[in-house]
Amino acid sequence: MKKKFWAVTLGLAMTAASLAGCAGAAPADGGAAPAEPAAAEATEAAAETGGAKATDGKNLPELTTEDMTIVLWDIATEDPTKTIQEGAVARFMADYPNIHVEQVHQQNDNYKQQLVVAMSSGQCPDMYISWGGGPMAEYHNSGFADDITDLYNTYDHPDFIEAAIAQGSYKGQILGIPFGGMSGCDVFYNKTIFAEQGIEVPQTLDELEAACEKLKAAGYTPFSLANGSKWTGSMYYMYLVARHSGNDEFDAAYTQENGGSFTSDAFIFAGDKIQDWVKKGYFPEGTNSMTTDDGQDRQLLYDGSCAMMLHGSWQARSMAADNQEWYDENIGVFRWPVDTEAEAKGVPQNVEVGTAIGNCFNFNAQGDQDKLNAMYVLATQYYNDDTYNEEQMASNTIPSINGFEKLVTEPNMKIITDVFFDASNVQLWYDQYLPASVTEVHKDSMTALFGLEKTAKEIGEDQDAAMKAALAEQ
Amino acid sequence: MGRSKKSGLAKTRAKSIALAATVFLIPALLLIAVYIIYPIIDTFLISGYKWNGISSNRTFIGLENWMNLIKDKLFWSAFGHNLVVMVFSILLQIPIGMMLATFLDAGGKKFNLFKTIWFLPYLMSSVAIAFLFTYALATNGGLFSALGTLIKGQKVTVDLLGKSPNALFAVIGVMAWQFTPFYMVYFIAGYGNIDTTVYEAAVIDGATRVDYIRYIAIPLLGPIFKTACTMSLIGSLRYFDLIWNMTQGGPVGSTELMATYMYKLSFQQFNMGYGSCVAAGMFILITVIALLFQKVFVVKEDY
Repeated sequence: MKKKFWAVTLGLAMTAASLAGCAGAAPADGGAAPAEPAAAEATEAAAETGGAKATDGKNLPELTTEDMTIVLWDIATEDPTKTIQEGAVARFMADYPNIHVEQVHQQNDNYKQQLVVAMSSGQCPDMYISWGGGPMAEYHNSGFADDITDLYNTYDHPDFIEAAIAQGSYKGQILGIPFGGMSGCDVFYNKTIFAEQGIEVPQTLDELEAACEKLKAAGYTPFSLANGSKWTGSMYYMYLVARHSGNDEFDAAYTQENGGSFTSDAFIFAGDKIQDWVKKGYFPEGTNSMTTDDGQDRQLLYDGSCAMMLHGSWQARSMAADNQEWYDENIGVFRWPVDTEAEAKGVPQNVEVGTAIGNCFNFNAQGDQDKLNAMYVLATQYYNDDTYNEEQMASNTIPSINGFEKLVTEPNMKIITDVFFDASNVQLWYDQYLPASVTEVHKDSMTALFGLEKTAKEIGEDQDAAMKAALAEQ
Repeated sequence: MGRSKKSGLAKTRAKSIALAATVFLIPALLLIAVYIIYPIIDTFLISGYKWNGISSNRTFIGLENWMNLIKDKLFWSAFGHNLVVMVFSILLQIPIGMMLATFLDAGGKKFNLFKTIWFLPYLMSSVAIAFLFTYALATNGGLFSALGTLIKGQKVTVDLLGKSPNALFAVIGVMAWQFTPFYMVYFIAGYGNIDTTVYEAAVIDGATRVDYIRYIAIPLLGPIFKTACTMSLIGSLRYFDLIWNMTQGGPVGSTELMATYMYKLSFQQFNMGYGSCVAAGMFILITVIALLFQKVFVVKEDY
């Protein structure tokens, strides 16, 4: 019997080992490789330029002349981002040959987990990509994201739009330097179907619903949605809330103070509206089982079964990449329609949803000011320099820097950019803004909402409970 | 040993055996200690802390995590799903594996091709299988929806992964597809272990092939059954990868297992302390269930 006990115990041990093993061990380099070729190029370029730096004449901290290595983690595993970002690092190293940047490209899918493991085992990189919001706050509170407010206020930096710096900040401290460009959230629609059905671009929610009815009657599913990803359905919820109450009710629910709650008017309105639309068949069957990462929602636009899709602006890039010709011919964009009832009450109708930073860099210098200075220069002057921004624009990514909105020419991107830059406020995606534990509840709530498994009030209560618990933790 | 004194030679021999045994065991013991025993102990230790997994300050909170675990509805519902998966895994994988093995055993070399083809699913990684079946079971353009459309003559959508309880059973089906081949091979080996003279004796006594299987082979395979059940039981209680890649525990937690819950807590919600507590809880639950199973079903050591 004893033997058996040990056999069973050992067999089981893997369960526990799989967790604790991760927590204690150094991170595995899954698929990540330092960009060696970039280093070689850099030295070459340095020889050519003969000492004149891109940063000469600017108000920047004096960088060390001693050897230094900066470990940088990003998620640029694929072109064009990979080449663009390696280029920025190469230009930096050409100007500062004594500073070596070890650029590690991580896979996006498990990047956040990888980072947690690295931090817990004392292997946190010196600078790393994040998306702001709840996780960034967590990194900062644990001592892995430096406050760079002083640097930012003292030295030169690109003219970032205010929303971008706001999304890279936490409790009034600037923690992140944006570099990924902005992403808006708008409705992509099939121009051909709209024309065929004689539907005008809807300006108000009522018009949107009328359009849906017409589409439905003609045999189309109005919206394409892959809600298996959960944050996709959240876009409808966020926009309905934003149009109904601006930022007020969400901000109140976030603090849970002064009667703020996820069961307040706008949240109930949004939840009820969505469930009404689900019942009327405005969303595809089985929406909860489809994921957007593999483009199942785009698929339904392509095959003509759906006519509209509320989604992040990067979808324009993806659809154009899939089939430029079809995209140009069929796809148009409009901003989420106005809630006339709320407008009459004076609720601003230009609070938009999206992210102004896309990605930002956070810094973990652990008290080494020289290193922090070097990273600040790298992030503000080489990422975000002219070359970088031009390359970003060429790949349909709009930098979160004032002035770039005027350079957009592609009609759909122009609408997206205008909506974004005209916004009185940009609400960061809930699933990135909320604390991590609330995010999980919010995402499950979206499944339950679209699956008609819980009412608007019930998911509101769930989110309230999670928010209260998260606030108590802090 | 009645004698108090051994001869010098025997003593030396015993000594050198002990030395050799120690030398040979040390590497294995070290590995086990570092990668299995230490992590288990560490998991239990971390479960006493409130810790986000990255910060250098952990707060010791004693048994608070454990008290929460006992009251945690999500954990117990995940455990419930584990039990459902366990029961259906044993009911599906082992009988089907056994039937396939019987078929292959009866056919002999002629069926080697089937043996290879049927074994293939087990050779694929869980992640690949998860992707494969996400598409095969997709509501739009998936296998079942397409079949339904074909039969009914109009567009039919079958939502297997997006609804409760469909999702759990769909995942159980995929797990069966993945693991049945393992038990098939296991039973083939079991059949191979039965001495041919037993079969010959049975045939001489007038037994048909069916009689042989029913009255002789299956009873002789008894111990193999029990081991297979234990393996399936432990496997389904700690299952993670396929579910994670197919549903991430959704929709609305309807396929949440203890392991996916633990992973979410530890790595997505910055709650390593409680995540470790869940892991430790899993460890205890699985050990208890596996030992109970052994106690109840494995009556005596034979074979």
